[in-house]
Amino acid sequence: MASSAAAYLDADENLEAIISRIEQKSRKIETLLKQVTHLCASRRGGGGGGRSKPVEALKTALEGTPLKTRDERCKSANWIVVHRAMMAIRDVDGMFNSLDPEYYDILMKYLYRGLSTGDRPTCDQCLKIHEKLTEKAGLGCILRSLADTVNTV
Amino acid sequence: MWAAVVGVPNGPVRSADEWCTSSSVFRFASKFQPFPPPSPPSTSASATAAPRRSPPPPPAMAAAAIHQFAECITCHAWSPDHSMIAFCPNNNEVHIYKFFTDKWEKLHVLSKHDQIVSGIDWSRSSNKIVTVSHDRNSYVWTQEGHDWVPTLVILKLNRAALCVQWSPKENKFAVGSGAKSVCICYYEQDNNWWISKVVRKKHESSVTSVAWHPNNILLATTSTDGKCRVLSTFIKGVDTRGSHASTSTDWKFGEQIAQLDLSSMWAFGVRWSPSGKTLAYAGHNSMIYFIDDVETSPAAQNLALRDLPLRDILFLSERTVIGVGFDCNPMIFSADETGLWSFVRYLDERKVTTSTSRASQLSEAFGKLYGQSKQVASSDTVEPSKPRGGVHENCITCIVPLRKGNDSIVKRFSTSGLDGKIVVWDAENHIDIKK
Repeated sequence: MASSAAAYLDADENLEAIISRIEQKSRKIETLLKQVTHLCASRRGGGGGGRSKPVEALKTALEGTPLKTRDERCKSANWIVVHRAMMAIRDVDGMFNSLDPEYYDILMKYLYRGLSTGDRPTCDQCLKIHEKLTEKAGLGCILRSLADTVNTV
Repeated sequence: MWAAVVGVPNGPVRSADEWCTSSSVFRFASKFQPFPPPSPPSTSASATAAPRRSPPPPPAMAAAAIHQFAECITCHAWSPDHSMIAFCPNNNEVHIYKFFTDKWEKLHVLSKHDQIVSGIDWSRSSNKIVTVSHDRNSYVWTQEGHDWVPTLVILKLNRAALCVQWSPKENKFAVGSGAKSVCICYYEQDNNWWISKVVRKKHESSVTSVAWHPNNILLATTSTDGKCRVLSTFIKGVDTRGSHASTSTDWKFGEQIAQLDLSSMWAFGVRWSPSGKTLAYAGHNSMIYFIDDVETSPAAQNLALRDLPLRDILFLSERTVIGVGFDCNPMIFSADETGLWSFVRYLDERKVTTSTSRASQLSEAFGKLYGQSKQVASSDTVEPSKPRGGVHENCITCIVPLRKGNDSIVKRFSTSGLDGKIVVWDAENHIDIKK
């Protein structure tokens, strides 16, 4: 496809822009995650308010324009950020209560990326989320994550 | 779920780029539809079997009749009066059955093709059958007395023909093929011969499905390059200028009117609504796409499915669509007053609860695999413990309307698939068909 090749070329020229975007995202996620630990420390088992923050962090990680680059440096930098947010999720059922369906397809794609690392704790977490996500979004979600060519993860 | 309106200011041909950008917008705009809770297991609806082997079917089911004709059916078509059916039992033959008071009897076997017959269409007013096959040829069969007489149509293809459809006026038919091309065939009186004109270099991959616009000129195609295209098939001497809308007077043969790049995966089952206002097709990434006013100012909607992808689509009316595919169960879609499409429910009530454990899901998959090879043995007995519990036990690949007269609403239709069954569905009493 000529159009996507052109888009990739464009993105290659802006590698620095992509990296800075990822860094920005990373900072935002760190802030959100810090708030959680702070909240949890201040009111032990405070549930509600503290719980939604990791989900906000995950949403931030999944959000944003597609990477559209084949550059491995960008891809792994982005993955580190998403991985950080994903591993911070403790309550998987609670996560799905506040995660909108529009995030399902891209989350599924990151889950497979996580499983491909072969890292034990990552895989444990990914499988845990995968089970709930498949229950929730069905096999169609898996098919779309396999078929997706717009988002590079 | 509702997606943006993509307007095109200049020229009728839309480039892939424009659609590329729009498709990425739609992606995250799609929403899952609420799905109805699974129905509890019921024993009464286990099967409405073929007439020769069971008492009359319970009327409560949408499936009016089920016939196990073969191990696997690639495609089927009905005679104009619906008394006969032609289908290909996954080989080089076409079998024609006729219904005599209580049972189906084989009347003819059309065996002229050398390889699997991939498409059959039976014209409604001229009573001609057209068949296409992987052997790259096509035959038009006309009934003379008791027999069906074939006329060879040389398609000029170097790959298999995959699908065929008569045009609304039945003076042309279109063939999609694996040779990245579409053939438009028409009859030349002077030479007493069917001519094939090939539209080349428009498709980047196999053409999986073709659909005629009611104006007899526009043809929609879907392809495994993921795109849906609308082409002009105007042929001098066959079509007359002014016989269609005024905007289309300068369309040449093979001209591309629109290209829709909504699916990143294979596209299947393109269909026009009865008026030709809406176009629908399915993507192999479990999506269905609805496009309004594709020749003038296209507006697209995409709908993400919860389950497996669709293979074929049928418009019952302007605002009701049936999709069939790998889920073995027809899905109903409908549009509300504002034109917003949504999934309604499965047509065939499921008899298994979806809260099955992993192990049983696995055995279900194995059951499906084994089910194919054991089809013959099990065809004579109704098995109450079928894992899927639906009428079809394997992927549905074909859906055909059973139209009555000039009624624009389809009240009955039939489906066939890899399980070798042909199921006739009664839509009228089971679906709220919106006009």
